[in-house]
Amino acid sequence: MNEKILSKLFDVEQAHKIDVYLEKDGYRAVRKALTDMNAEQILEEVKKASLRGRGGAGFPAGVKWGFVPKGVDKPKYLCVNADEGEPGTFKDKYIMSYNPHLLIEGIIITSYCVGIHQAYIYIRGEYENIALRLEQAIAEAVDKGYLGKNIIGSGFELNLFVHRGAGAYVCGEETALLESLEGKRGNPRLKPPFPASIGLFNCPTVINNVETLSNVPSIILNGADWFGQVGLPKDGGTRIFGVSGMVKKPGIYELPLGSSLKEIIFDYAGGMKEGKELKAVIPGGMSAPVLTADEIDIKMDFDSLVEAKSMLGSAAIIVIDKDTSMLDVLRLVTKFYAHESCGQCTPCRVGNNWIRKTVNRMAEGRGKKDDLDNILRLANNILGKTLCPLGDAAAMPIISIVQKFRQELESYIRN
Amino acid sequence: MVKIFIDDKPVEVEEGTTVFNAAETAGISIPHLCYHPAFAPEGTCRMCLVEIEGLPKLELACSTVVREGMKVFTKSEKVVEARRGVLEFLLADHPLDCPICDQAGDCKLQDYYEEYGLYDSHFIEVKEKRGKKTKLGPHLMHDQERCVLCRRCVRFLKEVTKTQEMGVFERGVHAEVNIHEGILVDNNYSGNLAELCPVGAITDTDFRFKTRSWFLDKENSICPHCSRGCNITIEHNTHFHRFPVPQRVYRVKSRFNPDVNGYWICDLGRYGYSYLDENRLDEIHVNNGISKLDWQGIAPLLAGKINRLRYMNKVSHIAVVLNTWLTNEELYLAKKIFFDDIRTDKIFFVDPPQGKADEILLTEDRTPNRRGAQEIGFERDSLDLETLSEKTDLLIIFGSFLAEKFSPAELKTHLDKIETTILLSSHTSELDALVDIALPVPTIAEKSGSLTNCNGIVQTFAPALEDCRDSCPEWRFLVDLGKEIGINFKFFSQFTSTQAILEEMGKEIAFFEMTND
Repeated sequence: MNEKILSKLFDVEQAHKIDVYLEKDGYRAVRKALTDMNAEQILEEVKKASLRGRGGAGFPAGVKWGFVPKGVDKPKYLCVNADEGEPGTFKDKYIMSYNPHLLIEGIIITSYCVGIHQAYIYIRGEYENIALRLEQAIAEAVDKGYLGKNIIGSGFELNLFVHRGAGAYVCGEETALLESLEGKRGNPRLKPPFPASIGLFNCPTVINNVETLSNVPSIILNGADWFGQVGLPKDGGTRIFGVSGMVKKPGIYELPLGSSLKEIIFDYAGGMKEGKELKAVIPGGMSAPVLTADEIDIKMDFDSLVEAKSMLGSAAIIVIDKDTSMLDVLRLVTKFYAHESCGQCTPCRVGNNWIRKTVNRMAEGRGKKDDLDNILRLANNILGKTLCPLGDAAAMPIISIVQKFRQELESYIRN
Repeated sequence: MVKIFIDDKPVEVEEGTTVFNAAETAGISIPHLCYHPAFAPEGTCRMCLVEIEGLPKLELACSTVVREGMKVFTKSEKVVEARRGVLEFLLADHPLDCPICDQAGDCKLQDYYEEYGLYDSHFIEVKEKRGKKTKLGPHLMHDQERCVLCRRCVRFLKEVTKTQEMGVFERGVHAEVNIHEGILVDNNYSGNLAELCPVGAITDTDFRFKTRSWFLDKENSICPHCSRGCNITIEHNTHFHRFPVPQRVYRVKSRFNPDVNGYWICDLGRYGYSYLDENRLDEIHVNNGISKLDWQGIAPLLAGKINRLRYMNKVSHIAVVLNTWLTNEELYLAKKIFFDDIRTDKIFFVDPPQGKADEILLTEDRTPNRRGAQEIGFERDSLDLETLSEKTDLLIIFGSFLAEKFSPAELKTHLDKIETTILLSSHTSELDALVDIALPVPTIAEKSGSLTNCNGIVQTFAPALEDCRDSCPEWRFLVDLGKEIGINFKFFSQFTSTQAILEEMGKEIAFFEMTND
C-alpha cells in the first residue's frame, strides 16, 4: 500500500483551486499549526520526522530551521527553491501545477515556526505558466484569509511573492538564488556565513525545496512517527521519483523512501521500451554518479545511495539504453555544466570548458590515448576545490562515466 | 589572542584573523590572486587552498578565520596537488604572451609556475579567443585573454573610487571583465588598476614596451605633487644616467602606508615623473661676469655680501623667496638664518597655484610641505614684486615658481633693480637669464630630508635617484651659509646630515619632537 502524500490530489479536477482544495481537507494543517501548536512544537515534530531536503543535498529541514538565530533584530525570510534546474527533474512542476495550495500550506506552517513574515518563491523563468498559476493560488489564499495579515485570526502575518528566475542552473544553488533575488548576478557566495544567519538582504533566511515544504502539512496532521513509518525512520516520507529515458511509462511516481530502484524502473515505469536493453541508470538527477545495469539492485534512500557511491539527489531517474553511446551522454553532461558555470571560480570555469573541448574532439574522431586519463585528472582537480557545489555536480558524473564505461569510451579513440 | 599551528609552527594572532594573515605574520606566504588586503576576501581564484586538520575538504586561507588549536598545512601533498591543479587551469586559458607582456617579471602566474608548477602542459585544445589590445582608459590597456577574473579591478572601482566603470559580463568561460558601454576608466586613480592587476590584463600605456621590470631599480620616495605625501616607489634604470639618455625614471608605483595613502596613489603623482628628467638645471650659470664659480665659493661669497649689509645696518635690504617644496630641515635652516640671525623681514613664499581636491587622496595644495612651514613658524604672506625689489640689494630665490607667477618682462624690471640676485632651482626657467647666479639643486627624489603632510605626519626620506651633475642640496648650502655668516658658527657646524637637523628641530619645536625615534 503506497501512501500518497504529495500527489494525492493530482488526479482531482481543479485541485489547484482553493475551493476544491478546501473540500479535500485543505488548510486543516495550517489551522492545527496556528491554533493548537507553538513554534517549538512544530520544530520538534519536523525534526523527529527526519524530513530531509528534497532539492538534492538532503539536509534535514528541521535542523536547518534550527540554525536561524533567535533574538536578532532583523526580519527573517523564507525562500522557496522552485528553480528545478537539475536535468532530469520535473517533480516540483507537478506539485506547483496540480496542488499549489499544498505548497502554500507548507510555506505558512514553516514561516510560522521560524518567525518569518515574508516569503518568496523563486521559480525558474522557463516555468512561466506555472508561475502564473502560483500567483493565482496566492491571490485565492489571500482572499480567503490564509495569507496576509492576521491569518485565520491567529495574529500571524505572512506575505508571499513569486519571483521568476532568468535561465541559470546555478541559481538553484541557495546563495546564488539569494543573489539573483536581490537583483544581482547569480554568483554563489562564500559560506560561512550561512544563509541562516546572513541570507537575503543580510537577514536570517531559510531556503527549502518545493517538495520539502509540501511535506510539512502532512507531518503536522499525522505526526512524525507516521511520517517515519511511511518512509524510513531516518529518512521519512515519500519521494516523487521522476523516471525518464527509454522506459515504457516515463513520468512521476510517488513512492516511499527505500523503494527498490529495480521495481521503480521495471514495475512502475513499465520496464524498457520494446527492443531496448538497459545499459545505465542515473539515479538522482544528472549530477549523481551513474550506475551500471548490474548496480541497480538498490534501495532508493539517501544513505543506501551514498553507500553505492552515488546520491539520491533530486530523485530523477534517467534510464539509458544500450543503443545510446556513453560518449554522447558524456558530451551532453560536459556541455551542460560548461554552459551553466557562473564563471566565478577558476576550476569550474576553466575545467568544465577544457573537458568539454576534449570530449567534443573525441566525438569528432580525433581522440588521443591520454584523453580519458586527462579528463579524470581535470575532473578531480575540480572536485572539492570550487566555491559552490556546481563544480562537484559536474565532476562526479564525469568521473563516474569515464570510470565505469572506460572500455566503451576507449573504443571511440581507437576508431 | 588565538594560538594556531601553521606547518607545525606555533603562531599567535588576534581573534578574527584569517589563516592567510596569520601565515603572513609567521613569514609563510600563501599563493593568491583574487585576495587583496584592501578588499574583503573574494574566494574565487582558489589558489590559497590549504589543508586544515579535521576538515575533509581543503579550505581557503583568505577567508577562513582562525580557531584555537587549529592545525594548518600549507605544503602537504593535497595542497601541492590542488595548487598545481588551479595553476594548470589558469594557464590553460592564458595566452603565451610572456615575450610581449609588460607584466613579465612582476607576474604572479610566472612566479607561481616557477614555485608551484613546473609541469608539462597537457592542454592541446584550442584556447579561447577574447579581446586584446583595447583601450580601457587614457592610461590603461586591456587584454582580456590574459585576465584571470580575479575582479580586483571591478572591486577597486566600486569600493575605492566609487565610479564603477567596470563590471563582469557573461557567464562561465565567456565571463569577462569589461567597461560598461560608452565609458572609459577615466578617473584620477585609474593607474592603480595596472598595479592591482596580478597579470598583464590591465597594463599601463605609459610604460608599454619601454623596458623590462627586472632592469629597473626600485627606490622609496615621497610624492611631492600635493600635501598628502603619498609613499611611492620610483623605478629607474641606474645604468642610464640622465646624460646622454634623456630618460632614466620609467615608472612610479605606490607604496603601502596605512597612515598616509593606504595602498593607492593618484594619477597626478603616478604619471607626473617626467619633471625628474626633463628641463633640469645641471650646471652653475653665471650671468654677471663673476669669473669661474663653484659650490665651494658660493657660501663665502654670499656670506660676505650679507655681512657687509649687516655692518651697514642694512639687513632689510636682504630678501629671500622660499617655497613649500623645501623640506622641513631646509625651512628650519632658512628661518634660523634669515629670521633669527640676519633678522630681515623680507621673507616671502612663492608656490605653484592650488588645484581641486578629490575626496580620496589629492589635496588642494599642490606642494608637499605647507604644513611643515606652518609648524616651523612661518607666516606666508603673498608676494608682490614692488615690496620684493624696493630697497633690496641681495635676493636669494629658492625654486623657480616666480617664473610661473609673473611674466619675464615684469620679473626683469624688478630683478634688475636688485644688485645681486641668486637663484637655487632644480629646473631651468626664464629666471636663469635674469639672475646673477643660477645654482642647480636636486629634487626631493634626489636628496634626503623630511616633509610634513597635510595631516601633520612627518615623513623622512632618502635619495632615490642620483643627483644631477653639479648640484648641491639646499640644506647643505644653508648649513655652509650659516657657518660662513659666522653669527652662530658652532650651531650650524653640528649639521653634517639631515637627521642631525631634524633632531635639533625636535629639541626646539615640540611638533617635531615625536619624530625622533
